[in-house]
Order: sequence, then structure tokens, then C-alpha cells
Amino acid sequence: MTCANFEELDNMNANWEVFTTYWPFLVPLIILELGLMLAAVIQVLRHPHYRIGNRAFWLVIVIFIQIIGPIAYFVFGREDQQ
Amino acid sequence: MTAAVIFTKKEWLESWRTHRFLILTVVFLIFGILSPLMAKLLPALLKGGLGGVKIAVPTPTSLDSWTQYYKNMTQMGIYVFALMLGGYVSQEIQQGTLVNLVTKGLPRWSVIIGKAFVGLLLWFWCVGSAFVMTWAYTAYYFPDTRSPHVVLAFVPLVIFGFFFLSVLVLGSILASNNYGGLLFTVVVVALLYMARMVKGWQHFNPISLISDNMKILVGADALTKLWPAMVTAVVLALGLFWAAIKVLDQKKL
Repeated sequence: MTCANFEELDNMNANWEVFTTYWPFLVPLIILELGLMLAAVIQVLRHPHYRIGNRAFWLVIVIFIQIIGPIAYFVFGREDQQ
Repeated sequence: MTAAVIFTKKEWLESWRTHRFLILTVVFLIFGILSPLMAKLLPALLKGGLGGVKIAVPTPTSLDSWTQYYKNMTQMGIYVFALMLGGYVSQEIQQGTLVNLVTKGLPRWSVIIGKAFVGLLLWFWCVGSAFVMTWAYTAYYFPDTRSPHVVLAFVPLVIFGFFFLSVLVLGSILASNNYGGLLFTVVVVALLYMARMVKGWQHFNPISLISDNMKILVGADALTKLWPAMVTAVVLALGLFWAAIKVLDQKKL
């Protein structure tokens, strides 16, 4: 196999290979991150008031920034219930 | 003592209902899985980053995995913990939620005892679950004998948590808002890091409890070498909790 061919093949399979090699790490990580995201999304939707920002802002942050997004919401965004 | 038990129950329920427990658990589990994964991926990342340049990247061992674990715990974990517990006491004072309890006869010291106990449980649960995760993955993916004292190296981290919590609680009482307590904690930790430079104090500095873990893990240092730091941390923590009780006694709720 020439070098060019190998590189092409490498690129094609790279993502899949990473997954097959590391799935015991990746599957629990993905589940945990999705769980955290879902918990935050449900909270954002259930509570209409925020300390800073608005609903759309927090939804974007929580969904697109993994781990840090939901933490930021729970720490800075959530309005404390009186 | 019943008062302390009741307040501890209330505190636990609060951690559960505000999702504090859940969020901390998930985040620390993620750290626990990330540590061995980082160790495993690091050589591949290094190779990829350097393009065609060939360098000899050593195969990762269990030591790399544990190094990542202690890095994650001490450089990220404790701050996530501090963020989640930032308004631990100040929030209750701000919202006046303690007024009812105290006027109905709940002694003020039981507030601190309850919070300290639940905080400590949370800390142990967090670092513990991350520890078990890292341990399991490390044992499976890096089956070598380079890290013999896994549990011994973990002990100082737990004790540091007790000290850290006392700083957090006192900071939270002294400050009138959520972020003041955080700032106080960060400043204290920064000062302790700076105090490491003073030669004679190193053995007594609580920061040694989170910076010498790898030495204990490999067996280069015995756990007994950290006795002075452990005793200092526990004594300081008890002192800070006592101070917290005194401050809360004087505080207008």
C-alpha cells in the first residue's frame, strides 16, 4: 500500500477506529454528559426566571458547551427559589 | 445533638433537591473516566500534533493515569466543588431561611455542624467515585506494578477536602454574597501554594496533601511523611469551623 492510499484509508477509518478502540471510555462519558445536559435543559425549561440571561441564551450554553455549560447554568443562571 | 442531626437531614435533602449532589456526582465521574482516557490518548495526541516528526513517545503506564487523576482533582475538581458550594451559608443568610429555624430554637452551631458533615460526605463521595472509576479503568488498561500504593495516596486528598471545606464554610459566612466565599477560598489556597516556597514549612503545609500524592503512590515517600501536614490540616480545619460558629453567633440573620 502506498503512502497516499494509506493516508486516505486512515482518514476514512480514523473516527470509527477511535470509537472502536476507546468505546469503553466514550460510551459512559457520552451518557454522563447527555444526562447532565438533559438535567440542565429540563431545569431551564421549567424555571422561567434566571439570575442573568434568558431562556434561549441558557439553552444554547447548556446544549452546546459540554460539562461547563450545565455547571455554569446551575451555578450562575439558576434563580433561587424563594 | 438532635438539632445537629435534624439540620444535617435538612442539608442533605437540600443537596438532593437543588441537584447539587447529582451534578457533582456526574462531573466527578466524568473526571474519573477522563483521567485514564487522557493518559491513553496523550501519546496519540502528541504524535498527531507533531505531524510527520518522529519522536519516541513512551507508552503510557498506570502512573500517567494517576497523574491525570490528581491533576483533575486538584486543579479542576476542588474548584467545581467550591463553585457548587459557593453560597453554602451566605445564601441561607441572604434569603433569611435560617431565621425560622433559629427562632424556633435550633442552636446556631448545629447549622455549621450539619453543613460540615454533609459537605464532607459530598467531598468523600465525589473524589471517591472518581477514584473508583480511575482505579477500575487503570487496572484494566494499564495492568502494571508501577503504582503500588493506590489507596494510601488517596488518603491525603480526602483530608485536604476537610480543610478545604472549612475554608469554604468560613468564607461563605464572612462574605455577604455567594462569590465572596469563593474568592476567600481561592485566596487561601493561593497563599498556601506560595507558602510552599518557604523551606521549613513544607511539611506542615496542607497543600502537600494534594501535591505529594504521586510520591506516595509510587512508594518514594511514606504516608507518615505527611503526618505533620495532615495534623495541621485537621487542626486548622477544626479551628476554622470553630471560628465559623463564632462568626455565625454574632451574625444578624
